[in-house]
Amino acid sequence: MNKLTVSYSPHLHTNQSCAKIMWSVFASLLPAGIAAIFIFGAAALWVILLGVISALVTEGLLQYFNKKKITLSDGSAALTGLLLSYNLPANSPWWLVVIGSFFSVFIGKQIFGGLGQNIFNPALVGRVFLMTCWPKYMTNFMKPLDAGINFFKSFNYDAVTAATPLMMAKEGKAVIDISYWDLFLGKHGGCLGEVCILALLAGALFLLLKKYISWHIPIIYIATVGVFSWIFGSKGLFSGDFLFSILSGGLILGAFFMATDYVTSPLTRKGQAIFAAGCGILTVVIRLWGGYPEGVSYAILMMNAATPIIDRYTKNRIFGR
Amino acid sequence: MLRVEEHKSPQHNLSCEKFLNPQRLYLPLSQHTGRPSQACVKPQDIAECAQVIALEDGHISARLHAPKKIKIISIDDWYHPILKKAKCIIAEPIETEEHKFIPREKIGAIGKEALLQIIRDSGIVGMGGAAFPTHVKLRPPKKIETLIINGCECEPYLASDYRLMVEKLDEIFKGIEIICKIIEPREVIFVVEDNKTEARKKLHLAFSLKKYKLPNFSLEILKTAYPQGGEKQLIYSTKKSKVPSGGLPLDVGCIVHNVATCFAIYEAVYFDKPLIERLVTFAGDALVSPKNVWVKIGTPLNELFDKGVLQFKTEPKKIICGGPMMGIALDNLNYPVLKGTGGFLFLSKDYLLGEEGPCIRCGSCVRECPMSLMPTLIDLASRNENWEQALIYGSADCIECGICSYVCPTNRRLVQSIKQAKIKTLK
Repeated sequence: MNKLTVSYSPHLHTNQSCAKIMWSVFASLLPAGIAAIFIFGAAALWVILLGVISALVTEGLLQYFNKKKITLSDGSAALTGLLLSYNLPANSPWWLVVIGSFFSVFIGKQIFGGLGQNIFNPALVGRVFLMTCWPKYMTNFMKPLDAGINFFKSFNYDAVTAATPLMMAKEGKAVIDISYWDLFLGKHGGCLGEVCILALLAGALFLLLKKYISWHIPIIYIATVGVFSWIFGSKGLFSGDFLFSILSGGLILGAFFMATDYVTSPLTRKGQAIFAAGCGILTVVIRLWGGYPEGVSYAILMMNAATPIIDRYTKNRIFGR
Repeated sequence: MLRVEEHKSPQHNLSCEKFLNPQRLYLPLSQHTGRPSQACVKPQDIAECAQVIALEDGHISARLHAPKKIKIISIDDWYHPILKKAKCIIAEPIETEEHKFIPREKIGAIGKEALLQIIRDSGIVGMGGAAFPTHVKLRPPKKIETLIINGCECEPYLASDYRLMVEKLDEIFKGIEIICKIIEPREVIFVVEDNKTEARKKLHLAFSLKKYKLPNFSLEILKTAYPQGGEKQLIYSTKKSKVPSGGLPLDVGCIVHNVATCFAIYEAVYFDKPLIERLVTFAGDALVSPKNVWVKIGTPLNELFDKGVLQFKTEPKKIICGGPMMGIALDNLNYPVLKGTGGFLFLSKDYLLGEEGPCIRCGSCVRECPMSLMPTLIDLASRNENWEQALIYGSADCIECGICSYVCPTNRRLVQSIKQAKIKTLK
């Protein structure tokens, strides 16, 4: 008899793998990317491709030089690159995308020790870094194309720009001439991946059905934002437009695809509920009283920092105790 | 709890075969929880079938009997699935014919104490895996309200309890009657999972005929889930009461007996036949065909292959004593069948576990843990040798069911490191 493997039980295993989960999330984000290309033209495609490729190159090089196993196939770097690009304007210059991806993977993830070790959502770390260093580029949003015009212009910073609905709201423009339907389909200025709610929800539905994410974080997050936006409306208490606050900005992208990041969110459902409510409250606070029109990325990052302590106080009650 | 891949087909539908004539028998003195028994035979001795060859040592211990008429060759260290190497009576059967056990008379007239004595003298231990001496369990220090008969067999692949329920249900019920006579419970609950189709039919029939004298007898069909057959989970599923952490089932007035143990009690009382054989499932994708076989306790695995009872289809890469979730991997075929062994698995290279990755904190282990522990955090603490932290996250309460490792997408060896923490924190 040849050599037998002696290992600890169990000897049976689900066919679930990290790569399967990561690539499924990646795939679930693709509809939003395709929508972005329809809305902003080929520019969006180039930003997405560049974001993903530079994240992969960064991860590969860092692992190579650190003499670690190269794990590009697990999909986590590609996902970080994809999410970062979704958080950029479609008219970002190419170097902005590359620097963002590099920073996300290097400072956001590898410096902590790689997959599973990071405290903050890597894509958001990259986005916030770019926001801090190059706010001009990060808040200069391209106007959605009129059918077919300039479709193939890439990295074109000089494109016709448009403020995001939240920016307009922040500036106090009384009536914003944008319908909920347009918000839902994404016909307005904004980061390329966050605008088309329809496509994002399609991807989110896939993840929920496949049980890769649970409803707890996204639904509680969105509901909290809705409720608080309604309470603290601009025309006095309980006058807010909650549908507008849910459909605009990066809330749907953030709630379904970034706050649900396994590594940086709490382990238990109870913890996740607290985490999500915290994200919701912080988002509204930043949107209404903060210096920025949008607060999703900062809110998630702050709650990421709180995750270890949430974990500590929401551990399961042991059976029979 | 979770529905794991069952792999029960085709074993569930295979009638039992017999292999009762091994050429060698290896009978470890430690086949039960508690002190090893003490050999009362010497090399060269001849022992008749069912003669006692090792006596219990202290209260929590169990006797050992000659499975056939044997000649003792030596008492030496031999392979033991759990202890790796342990003292073992090595013997050679000198008669191929099966011993005839004579039915005992006037069973109804035997008193409680006498029944307990018979069970003790027959060397019966819990046959669900833990192998706790049955006579100790049947003398509880508190009043037992509920007797639960465990027919769940939640481990994938294994079918020996199921076949026993299908083929020997009447005998199992007679065994239960004896247990009832001894512990006088207020109610008896027979529990099976809903994947036990054939056994369920027979149980329903037996239930409706009311043939047996059992107090407040009820039948409970539970959803197939793992680890439904674990004592604490079983009591929670049927009685909705939680065995306190560090406590025993009798703290909530329950006692759980496996169906195979009930059968062994029946044989001991009705035929004065000690525990010398048992039904074992042999399965796995490396075998030509899986089998349920009655074998003598002490039969080494290689004999089953030498005699053609089992054949390899492909090269086995893993041999497991027990089920795939909690079983122990073996390194050769010299290991014998023990009293508590319900099955052996022979798995090909397709079942080798992939490389371990970092924890991505998906939380699957935390959600699926039947004891509501925080497996990944215990694992982390254990790897950092932070035993106190491991204890806070529940290492002491781990039942080692293996669900956490089963669901882990990055193949973390969670049970292994939790077990490490458990050992360290027990001291």
